Amino acid sequence: MTLLYLALGVVFGFILSRSGAADYDYIQRMFLFESFQLYGIIGTAVIVTAAGMAAIKRHGRTLMGRPIEIELKPLHRGNVLGGLIFGVGWSVAGMCPGPIFVNVGEGKLYALAALAGALAGTALFGAAYPRLQGWLRMPPLAVGPGEG
Amino acid sequence: MPLILNDLTPLHWAVAGAGIAAITLLLLFLGSRRLGISTGLEDVCSLVLRLPYFRRGAVVSGRGWRLPLLTGLVLGGFLSATLGGGWSPMWDGGMFDARIASDPLAKLAWMFAGGLCIGVGTRMGGGCTSGHGIFGLSNLELPSLITTISFMLGGVIATNLIYRVLFP
Repeated sequence: MTLLYLALGVVFGFILSRSGAADYDYIQRMFLFESFQLYGIIGTAVIVTAAGMAAIKRHGRTLMGRPIEIELKPLHRGNVLGGLIFGVGWSVAGMCPGPIFVNVGEGKLYALAALAGALAGTALFGAAYPRLQGWLRMPPLAVGPGEG
Repeated sequence: MPLILNDLTPLHWAVAGAGIAAITLLLLFLGSRRLGISTGLEDVCSLVLRLPYFRRGAVVSGRGWRLPLLTGLVLGGFLSATLGGGWSPMWDGGMFDARIASDPLAKLAWMFAGGLCIGVGTRMGGGCTSGHGIFGLSNLELPSLITTISFMLGGVIATNLIYRVLFP
């Protein structure tokens, strides 16, 4: 299975690389409302995924027959505040988490700084979780703020 | 508009979107996995940090599939460059170079700051463009709709401030 996930990652990375999703200029033009490309990509991805997901959920099982279990993300105040902070980061770096890894692979050296920052930010948040949890009404540590 | 990477012509948005949907659906149908990249940042942290937050079952149990997926993303970027004009280390940052700074050190500091916001923000929000924006919206989840609106708003405000006010 490890090889399967690796292969899916390679194809995903290739598409992100060639679509503009891992391109600093395309990200800025999206937020400036000067390019439709990223809106078209995300919109198409959501519509096609929604249709396929409905079919898979009706089927109820994976290809190998295991039951499909989708973990739902919790609702909390961190959704709004964290979302806003992430949006600023996406704008500043011109990449969201997937494209950080893709840009590193493409050879863009500045993406290494974005990766270092993202890991440092994740570590900071993990260390601060016990203090932020009550204020942001986030679930207990064992559950966390949501996977994905 | 060509890509920064070797001035390549990008895929049509409908093709790219359908491709991303195919990956998302294959993860679900083959492995019962919920697409999500930013949790992978926690997986990487959990390899070296012993904080209780990074010892959670949700993180440790997902490492076996998310770390190969992230490795694949890096390889996919490498493959894309290699097959599309050749791979070489580069500093090119498009309009960033023309409008903000072309000095590599300034760019590294700027990108690190952006990365910090990505790390803190995605984990506080419980997901990023993939987990909330694509999987969560497709599954009609309210927290994902709220988070997606929030990060699109944050990005629109920041980019318009940067490129229309600070560095016009």
